[in-house]
Amino acid sequence: MTATTEYFGVLMPQIILLIFALVCPALDLWLKMRRGIAYWAIIGLAIVGIIETLALIPDTRDLLSFLFWTEPPQTEVFDIGAFSRIFTIVFVFVGGLVALASPDFIKKEKNHGEYYALLLIAVTGMSFVATAADLIVIFIGLEIAGISCYALTGFQKSVKRSTEAAMKYFIVGGFSSAITLFGISLIYGAGGSTNLVELGTLLTLDSELHAIALLGIALLIVGLGFKIAAVPFHMWAPDVYEGAPTTITTFLAAGSKNMGVAAMFKIFLIALLAIKADWDVAIAIIAIVTMSVGNLIAIQQTSVKRMLAYSSIAQAGYILIALPVASEYAVAGGILHVITHTAMKGGAFIVIAAMAIAGLGERLKDFDGLNRRSPFLAFSMAIFVLSLAGIPPLAGFYSKFVLFSGAIFGASEPGGSGWLVWLAVAGILNSALSLFYYARIIKSMYMHETPNKSRIVIPPLIKVAILIALIATIFIGLYPQPFIDGAMGAAHALNELLPFGR
Amino acid sequence: MFEELQTFAQNLLEGIPVLTLMIFLPLLGVGLIFFFGRSMKLIRTISLLFSGIPLILGILLFVAFSWGNALPAGETFADPQFYEEYEWIPSLGVSYVVGVDGISLPLLLLTPLLTFLAILFSWDVKRRPKEYFGLILLMQVGITGVFVLLDYLIFYVFWEIVLIPMYFLIGIWGGPNKDYAAIKFFIYTHVASLVMLLAIMAIYFNAGATTFNMIELGESAPGFSKAFQIIAFGALLFGFGVKMPMVPFHTWLPDAHVEAPTAGSVLLAGLLLKMGGYGLIRVAIPTLPEGASYLAPLMVVIGVVSILYAAIVCLAQKDLKKMVAYSSVSHMGFVMVGFATLGQVGIVAGVFMMFAHSLVTAVLFMTCGVVQHHCGTRMIPKLGGISERMPKLAAIMTTGFLASLGLPGLVIFAAEFMVFWTIFNNWGLWLFLPILSVAITAAYYLWALQRSMFGPLTEEIETEQIDDANWFESAPMAVLIALIALFGIFPAIILHRISDAVTIILRSFGVG
Repeated sequence: MTATTEYFGVLMPQIILLIFALVCPALDLWLKMRRGIAYWAIIGLAIVGIIETLALIPDTRDLLSFLFWTEPPQTEVFDIGAFSRIFTIVFVFVGGLVALASPDFIKKEKNHGEYYALLLIAVTGMSFVATAADLIVIFIGLEIAGISCYALTGFQKSVKRSTEAAMKYFIVGGFSSAITLFGISLIYGAGGSTNLVELGTLLTLDSELHAIALLGIALLIVGLGFKIAAVPFHMWAPDVYEGAPTTITTFLAAGSKNMGVAAMFKIFLIALLAIKADWDVAIAIIAIVTMSVGNLIAIQQTSVKRMLAYSSIAQAGYILIALPVASEYAVAGGILHVITHTAMKGGAFIVIAAMAIAGLGERLKDFDGLNRRSPFLAFSMAIFVLSLAGIPPLAGFYSKFVLFSGAIFGASEPGGSGWLVWLAVAGILNSALSLFYYARIIKSMYMHETPNKSRIVIPPLIKVAILIALIATIFIGLYPQPFIDGAMGAAHALNELLPFGR
Repeated sequence: MFEELQTFAQNLLEGIPVLTLMIFLPLLGVGLIFFFGRSMKLIRTISLLFSGIPLILGILLFVAFSWGNALPAGETFADPQFYEEYEWIPSLGVSYVVGVDGISLPLLLLTPLLTFLAILFSWDVKRRPKEYFGLILLMQVGITGVFVLLDYLIFYVFWEIVLIPMYFLIGIWGGPNKDYAAIKFFIYTHVASLVMLLAIMAIYFNAGATTFNMIELGESAPGFSKAFQIIAFGALLFGFGVKMPMVPFHTWLPDAHVEAPTAGSVLLAGLLLKMGGYGLIRVAIPTLPEGASYLAPLMVVIGVVSILYAAIVCLAQKDLKKMVAYSSVSHMGFVMVGFATLGQVGIVAGVFMMFAHSLVTAVLFMTCGVVQHHCGTRMIPKLGGISERMPKLAAIMTTGFLASLGLPGLVIFAAEFMVFWTIFNNWGLWLFLPILSVAITAAYYLWALQRSMFGPLTEEIETEQIDDANWFESAPMAVLIALIALFGIFPAIILHRISDAVTIILRSFGVG
């Protein structure tokens, strides 16, 4: 096999996604398809998802040989392994959920072709970030996904708040990209390379250019902090999440945010690990503040969509725990939480989308007596929020468990820093706090009465989307073993990239 | 004859995964109710059946349980019977491990019993019956699991499963202030659970992060440093103490009880509170012996304060149910003091007290429920002389109150007496403090009885048509009264079975 086809294997998922994306507008323009485009997009996402899953599991890897697929070679700019595969699967999963939920949600809008094309391109960009082994590639990925997301946020042109959200998102996003890029350039200046692994050896605490690296780290924390909506860079998130079409909110909360997490994991746990002493306390403080502020403000919300927006700020805080601990176990917890968060938060937002289709609002009041009007929606929502609160035996419990116990483990290890234990304490206290507002949603749905008792009809496609997220949430809860193993494998893959180990 | 019975039961249960069945049969019931529960009758039959079969299994298991054998030398953790083990999350060291020993046996027997009786008692619940009976069965799944699981992580999972049905039971079928009570219950107990989880994680990592198995972790106990044991034991004491509940973290209990439907109260007081006590003796004390010894004085103080404070508060109650709720706090104080002695008699008495209190308090909450149903109020000043209209109820309530205040011959007396005996042996005349509660308890019960049951009919009640308790209300209460008398006269039936396990637990203290 020639070198070219070998390298084709490196970017196969992205290439497939792009081909599918580029066909979407054509389907709209010439074939006048509407629903068909969604199916097309889902097929593309499913193919990539299946390929990546097969490639992830060692036993099934050989099945791919009929696709002329070989184990992709390691290159300087791309790193293919368990980490990139798991994140790509996560992004494809979110994209699939959104594509399933969309046809009914954007029925009244025009330009379906562009919608799905942008969605697929955004997924492509995200998977670039997950695959990158180079700062520039990470940045390009962030931008590809970011620009698509800005456009998607403003997709409902006739809705004022959608346009407003898009504008805000665009300005803040552009701003944060610039800061990130500036941070990257300083890191490049300090280390002399943009390759993550090389940077890992070049950047040391006693280098002459250490001060520049420090500034670069600060800028990266700010820039990426905007992307994952960490406090105090979170102000845009509730407005954008509330204003965006709910399907796109799902995509932002469960997809775009996880892309930021992937970028942070790659940059901080590979390139900047040697100078961990420079940033671990800062990120630990940001993690604690993020989860606390997110949860405290969520308690006061009367709009469920906004409440979930703040809750996803808090979830970013939980995931950030993995960075200062930096042990393989804690990183596995972070990755596991990315996986579970995708299913449960994605599901919760799609429930809100389903309610919007049925003509219901997104205020807490609109959830009153939902159990009578649609037991399925109420039950799914209850499961999603209980899982978000970390109640066993649901998915969220295990990811929080691994994450928080990782912090305790990191503290109790010989040579570990004792203060890490406070990350776990803060996380656990915050979980308890968050139960308060999650329980309010459940209370509305099950314990309050509503004058309007008519049944809600949910379109089948969106029902399928909710059902998939629901099954994922429950299944991971009942049988977490493969997912924990997968996350451990991904954390291990990240670890293996380091030239000198952790 | 007894030995033949035991062999017979053992043969019957041979090769049956009896504990797994006891945990998961009610879950099957939940599924059946959910999918096929079309009529009231069907729902009730399914729920009776799926709490009834575990009850039969529980009775068989109780008979088949072997005790009084020579204890294996050197073991520091009880040898569980009906043991099952399957791997579940190997990468974290989590397995599904179940087994029964003397400490879990009485509570395991109570779980299906009280659930079965509570379902029977709720025969006429017409509001959203599918959810109501489904939730009660789901709670049975959780509670049974807590009492038999020997793996910390799954134990915690089941511990939390119990919360959700109870939250819904209070929140949907509760009284006027249900919103507040339900959320308060949920938050209090959930925070306590999380603190417990933190301690469990710490134990797990300190023992090398290889297994969550309680038996194996119990064996690594001697390796823990004293400072660690004290901190971890403190966290566990808080976690389990809130659940029991102990003063000053008891305030969720009266609220939850007052608002909860009767069946909810029966299960809450009869089983959920016992989870706290069970956790202390199953998890905290044997795994962290040095921590337990260090903090035992604190446990005694908390226990005695709970006994006295709750008893005094009972005197001031106008609501019958709130009074019974506070009396639970008082009685659970005895459990705490019994455990705090860290001696054979004290711990056996504590476990037996949990068993005794479950039977008695279940009757008391049922009588409160009957009064509420038939008279429309539970306020003592509004009641009066209802024994004329409800003689059956009056008889049961009087027996129940007498049992609860510790009348000799009834079950609580045996437990209380053992606790007093061991307090006297340990701390001599300090006994006067807890024994003071006997007088107060007698006072509030008799006074309440006098005002609500006897005397002239009050105006509010006189004009109304009041029927006596229905069959489905009196039958469960009668069964419980019979058991109260049975175990009051022959407490040894339970005590012998508890004793072995306690001896083994005490080995971790270097005793025995």
